[in-house]
Amino acid sequence: MNPNLKTTLKYLLLAAVFVYPLFSFANEYVLHVMVLIMIYMVLAMGLNIIPGFCGLLDLGYVGFYGIGAYTAGLLTIHFGLSFWVIVPLAALNGAIWGVLLGAPTLRLTGDYFAIVTFGFSELVVLFLTNEIWLTRGPLGLPGIDPVIIDFSWLSTLIHPQWDWYWEFIGPQPYFYLGLFLVALVYVIMGRMEDSRLGRAWFAIREDSIAASSCGVNLLTYKVIGFAISAAIGAVAGAFLARWTMFLSPDMFKFWESFLILCMVVLGGLGNFKGSLVGAAILIALGEVLRIILPALNLPTETRFLAYGMIMVLMMRFKPMGFFPAIATQSRKNPILIKLKKDLGSS
Amino acid sequence: MNILDIDSLTMRFGGLLALADVSFHVARGEILGLIGPNGAGKSTMFNCISGVLRPTEGDMLFEKDGKLMRINGYKPEKMTHFGVARTFQNVRLFSALTVLDNVRIGRHCRTKANFFGAVLRTRSQKEEEQRIVDESMNWLKFVDLEKFVFNTAGSLSYGFQRKLEIARSLATEPRLLLLDEPAAGMNPKETKSLIDLIHKISDLGVTVILIEHDMKLVMSICRRLVVLDHGIKIAEGGPREIRANPKVIEAYLGRGAADA
Repeated sequence: MNPNLKTTLKYLLLAAVFVYPLFSFANEYVLHVMVLIMIYMVLAMGLNIIPGFCGLLDLGYVGFYGIGAYTAGLLTIHFGLSFWVIVPLAALNGAIWGVLLGAPTLRLTGDYFAIVTFGFSELVVLFLTNEIWLTRGPLGLPGIDPVIIDFSWLSTLIHPQWDWYWEFIGPQPYFYLGLFLVALVYVIMGRMEDSRLGRAWFAIREDSIAASSCGVNLLTYKVIGFAISAAIGAVAGAFLARWTMFLSPDMFKFWESFLILCMVVLGGLGNFKGSLVGAAILIALGEVLRIILPALNLPTETRFLAYGMIMVLMMRFKPMGFFPAIATQSRKNPILIKLKKDLGSS
Repeated sequence: MNILDIDSLTMRFGGLLALADVSFHVARGEILGLIGPNGAGKSTMFNCISGVLRPTEGDMLFEKDGKLMRINGYKPEKMTHFGVARTFQNVRLFSALTVLDNVRIGRHCRTKANFFGAVLRTRSQKEEEQRIVDESMNWLKFVDLEKFVFNTAGSLSYGFQRKLEIARSLATEPRLLLLDEPAAGMNPKETKSLIDLIHKISDLGVTVILIEHDMKLVMSICRRLVVLDHGIKIAEGGPREIRANPKVIEAYLGRGAADA
C-alpha cells in the first residue's frame, strides 16, 4: 500500500472514531468499551517506559493504577476537589510512590526486580482491602462524583443568567475526555522518546554498562522512568475513579498488570504507538470472549487462558511484537529531517 | 604533568589476585601501550580506572583542574564526567539504535535537558538538541562514518562498529581515552586506518592508553609501554627496550620477537 493512501486511511479512521459518539446510532455499550480501551491505552503507554524503554520487567504496574484511582476517589469524596485538580495530585502521588519503590529496588536487575514489583502490587491490594478506616475495604468506595466542568463563577460575572456548569452524564463526554488524555500522554511519550531522557533510557535497555560509560547515571534514570510511568498509571486511575464512580480493591488485582503487559508486548516493547493497538486488540478481545465463552458453557475466567495463549504464540512467532520499532520518534524531529536533506544533497 | 598516577594498585577477586601492587604513570598527551598475555589484568586495570571496579588497595590519581585527585570508588558515569572515556574489548554498542543515536548518547554527560525541557520543548532544549546533532555529526565525520548516520549500529561491519564506539567515547569529551583492543578482528587495511585515527585523536590533545595484541600497531604508535603478566608489572619503557627485555620475551612476546 502506498504511504500516502495509508496515512489518508489512518486519518479517516481517526476522524470516524472522533465523530462516532455524536451520531444517534452510537451504541452506549460500544462507547463504554471504547472508553475502557482508552484507559488501557494510557496505561499501556505508561507501562511501556519500564519494560520497553528501560528493559526492566515490571509486574506491579497496577499498583500505581490503584493508588491513582483511590487518591482520586478519596479526594473527591472527602474534599470534593475538582477533577482538574485531582489529576495532577494523583499523578504526583503516583510519582512519589514510584520513587519510594524505585529508589531502593531499581538496583536489582532482571527477575529480582520483577518479583519486587509484583509484591508491591499485591501490597497495594492488601492495603486497600484491609485499611477499612480509609478505603472501606472490600465494600469499596461508592458515590464518587462524576467529572464536572464548572465555570459558573466566570459565567455569572459575564452575564447573571448564564450558567457554565456541566456534569458528565453518559459515555459521550467521557469518550472525549478519554481521547484528550490519550492524546496528551501520546504527545508526552513522543517528546520524551525523542530527547536526552529517552535516549538515556534506550541506552540502559540496550547495554547498561555502555550507558554508564557514556555518563548515564543508571539508578537516577531508572527511577525517573519509574516515577513517570507510575504518574501516568495514576492518571489513568483517576480517570477510572471519576468515570465508574465506584472503586473496589479487586479492580486492581495482579492479572490487570499482566493484561497491560500483554498489550505492551503485543504492540512491541519500546514502541509506545504499538501499545495503543495492543490495548485496543486485547480489550476488544476480552469483550468478544465475554460473549463467546458463556455460549460454549465455559466460565468467563477462561479468558485468561486466551491471554496466556496469545503470549505463547507471540513468543513463538513474533517475539518483538507486531510493531517492532524503538527510538523512531526522532525521525520526525525537524533537526533530523533537515540533517537528512543536507546529507542527501551533498 | 601526569594525567594519571597509578600507585601500588591491587585488585583481588576472592582468592584471585588480578592486579598485584601495580604502579605506573601516564603523562598528559602521550600514547601509552598496556600489553601482556591474556589474563594478565589489562582489562581489569581499565575497569578500575573507568570506575567499573573498585580496586582493593592502592590509589588512582587523576588530574583535574591542575591538581591530582583520588578517583578510587567513583562510579563509571562520574569518571566519564571527569573526562575518562573508554571502549570495550567486545564491542558494546546500542545495536538497535542508529549510528547517530549512539553518538548522541555519548553527548549525555555534557548536556543537561531534563523531563520538563523534553516535554515542553523549550527553546534551550531545542538549541541543545541542535548542538548535540551538530557535534555528533562532527565526531562521525572524524571517524569517517558520516555515510551511515541513519543505519542501525548493529548493521555495521565489525571494523566500523569499533570506530563508532571510538566516536561515541570521543563525544563525551574525554581527556583520557582507554582503548581496549581496538584492532582485534580488523583486517590490515582497517588496522592501518585505525593507526591514523589514533594519531588524529592524540593530535586533539587526548591522552590515550591502549591495550593491544597487535605488536606492529603497538610498537609503531606507543612511545612508552607497560607490560603486565599475572597481575604484576614486569616491565616499563620504550618499544625498543621492551622488545629486548628478557622477562617480556619469556612471558609474552616469544623468542622470535626480539629478532623481528
